[in-house]
Amino acid sequence: MNRWLTVVVVALLVLVGAMGLKTAVVADSSDTPVMTANGGGPVPPSPWKNGGGPVPPSPWKNGGGPVPPSPWK
Amino acid sequence: MPGTVDYIFSVATFAAEVAVLLCLARQRSLSRYFFVVLYMLASLIVHVGRYTVLFSLGLKSPEYFYFYYYSDALLSICLFFVLMGLYTQAFSDMGVKKYLRVGALVLLGGTAWFSYGIVEQMAIKESHLMLTRVVVEMSQNLYFVGLVLTYLLWGAMLKVRENRLRLIQIVLVLGIYFSVFAANYAFRNLDPQFSLIWRYVPPLMGAVLPVAWYMTFWKIPEDARLATARVAPVHHRQ
Repeated sequence: MNRWLTVVVVALLVLVGAMGLKTAVVADSSDTPVMTANGGGPVPPSPWKNGGGPVPPSPWKNGGGPVPPSPWK
Repeated sequence: MPGTVDYIFSVATFAAEVAVLLCLARQRSLSRYFFVVLYMLASLIVHVGRYTVLFSLGLKSPEYFYFYYYSDALLSICLFFVLMGLYTQAFSDMGVKKYLRVGALVLLGGTAWFSYGIVEQMAIKESHLMLTRVVVEMSQNLYFVGLVLTYLLWGAMLKVRENRLRLIQIVLVLGIYFSVFAANYAFRNLDPQFSLIWRYVPPLMGAVLPVAWYMTFWKIPEDARLATARVAPVHHRQ
């Protein structure tokens, strides 16, 4: 039983450490595009910077990551 | 549309991934490095899929946008399993396989739950937009989980005096891969004016990973061991 609890605690500690690291790395980034790495192909542009149409509420204020394309385009 | 540099990186990545698979197949090590093979295969399929969507629908199409980020999340999960496979190999003598499996599932589930928690705070009403945000957020979080796990594995390998050269090399390459991404992300936030440099680091590292793994599988035999430093007693003459 103790071993299983240790496994869970270690996994959660790793998660906390990783999220803490992420918070430190992305601190004060309000408009940085998402970090992409895997596989080939060019990174698609942020859809709200190109073209017209109403822009969805900016999620950058609440954290990182890009907004999916607005559905009413 | 992608420029010449993008094509060069893409072709190099594709060729290196094929080379890794061929090298492992030739050495009959496909099952031993099952998750590496899975990642390489998935990456190859994603590679082809992305360019197919790109050329047929365009860079700015929502289809390419969705395909790109969903496939990125899929590859991140595959890379996470590569890492757990390396953990299993590193601690194969200790009989902790089942604990590693449970730990990996808890970590993956925890990351998904955490990502959902972040996106939920954004109060996105449309369910498909929310799902995409969760997927993108989870993919990004998995990079950082992978980074921490790689450093932990490296620390543990040093502690248990791991001397399997091939395993050491694979873990070190993975550590460099994750570290460069995190550093690139941090530098890009600190100094966005050099965005041209920061833009090409991810595809460069995307090519470096399979190339370095290919060199490892090609040059280092499975039974190669790292020569440990001999501690010779020193007798001081009085």
